[in-house]
Amino acid sequence: MLDLFDSMLKIYNIMYESGNIRVNKMSFREKIHWTAFLALLVAFGWYFLTYPWEIVGTDAGVWAVAGMLVPVTLTIMGVMTITAAYFAIRTPKEANLKEDERERTIHIRGTHLAYYPLVLGVWANMIAMFYRLSVGEHLNLLIATVVVAELVRVGSQLYFYRRGY
Amino acid sequence: MAQAPFTNDIKTLRFLAGEMTQGDLGDKVGVTRQTIAAIEQGKYSPSLEVAFRIAHVFGKPLDEVFQWQQN
Repeated sequence: MLDLFDSMLKIYNIMYESGNIRVNKMSFREKIHWTAFLALLVAFGWYFLTYPWEIVGTDAGVWAVAGMLVPVTLTIMGVMTITAAYFAIRTPKEANLKEDERERTIHIRGTHLAYYPLVLGVWANMIAMFYRLSVGEHLNLLIATVVVAELVRVGSQLYFYRRGY
Repeated sequence: MAQAPFTNDIKTLRFLAGEMTQGDLGDKVGVTRQTIAAIEQGKYSPSLEVAFRIAHVFGKPLDEVFQWQQN
């Protein structure tokens, strides 16, 4: 009887350990979040590093914003579409699963946290108006606000996914 | 790590139910495998509905699956 219990305990421990390993395996949504986070970081990192800041106060500077936002947006959309399709093909069952209550909570908390940088950015923009900044500078400040808010949203959701709740 | 103020026997019940995987239980309950793992580890407190669904899968009353910790 004790031998039977002992072997059951061993199986139980193996399951427990393998269960823990499986916890760390990323879900479909978490992978998509990682992709979005990295795509945002790389695409807008490129944007802010290569933007011609010397002409930001001119009309050309405003058009440069528009011209650079097109490839940035297309890159993010392209990367998201390709990776989502790739992960969906690899794990079709997970891809078709509806968002459950834990994921919904993570979603809401991340969006809530992103509200603060968004508000701060809008306030910064309003204050900047009193200093007579150019249209190009305002545009870039607004873009930076949205990007930071998005990074906070997706980043915090990734943190919550890893933490488990 | 914040722990839920209750423990659960989901892991044992899964084992006794023909070594049911977290994924299988998740499918039956309507949540993801990761959510079952988080509940098992006491990291996430499920809604009453999900708690009842889990108990229903094992054919047990709720208090045999989840136990409130006094302290």
